[in-house]
Amino acid sequence: MDESPPPPPDDAPDTQTPPPPRTIHTGSPTDFLKGVVGKKVIVRLNSGVDYRGVLSCLDGYMNIALEQTEEHVEGNVTNRYGDAFIRGNNVLYISAAEEL
Amino acid sequence: MDGSSSGIQEPFDLIRLSLSERVFVKLRGDREMTGILHAYDGHMNLILSDVEETIMIVNEGEQATVSVAKRKMDMLFVRGDGVILVSPPSRT
Repeated sequence: MDESPPPPPDDAPDTQTPPPPRTIHTGSPTDFLKGVVGKKVIVRLNSGVDYRGVLSCLDGYMNIALEQTEEHVEGNVTNRYGDAFIRGNNVLYISAAEEL
Repeated sequence: MDGSSSGIQEPFDLIRLSLSERVFVKLRGDREMTGILHAYDGHMNLILSDVEETIMIVNEGEQATVSVAKRKMDMLFVRGDGVILVSPPSRT
């Protein structure tokens, strides 16, 4: 006959856990990549150079075709290309630069 | 289908459309070149003609300076693994 109060439910609001991020993207990396085709992206290469442009398409090697591309080195624009093919082995990451 | 207006389905289409055109190629080792693209393959091995290569040389020292060397070649095979970026002539 223990009448001790029950512990608070696990989902009770508290200050310990931060609120969830505003948007929760679920899905595989492939889903992400499909989602960013046609969007503005930032492609960083292993060398640290960034390419900002609109992602035209990409393939299984992560070869990338970009449109309206700007090359950024240490924050400065160093080149512009109407189109650019980037060989996949140089890619460090692809970051979405606009809302998906 | 892919949100691109230019009818490119895969990245290699960009290269295919540049055959017989002058392309800009960025290579490892601070090298760049322009040349007429004659052939390529899935490794991005390239055959270029009428090539001008630009080599950026960093001079170590008190003040690091960059000097540029250029050279021209009539016909060139570029091994694909050195390629970082290929940019076709702007299509309008």
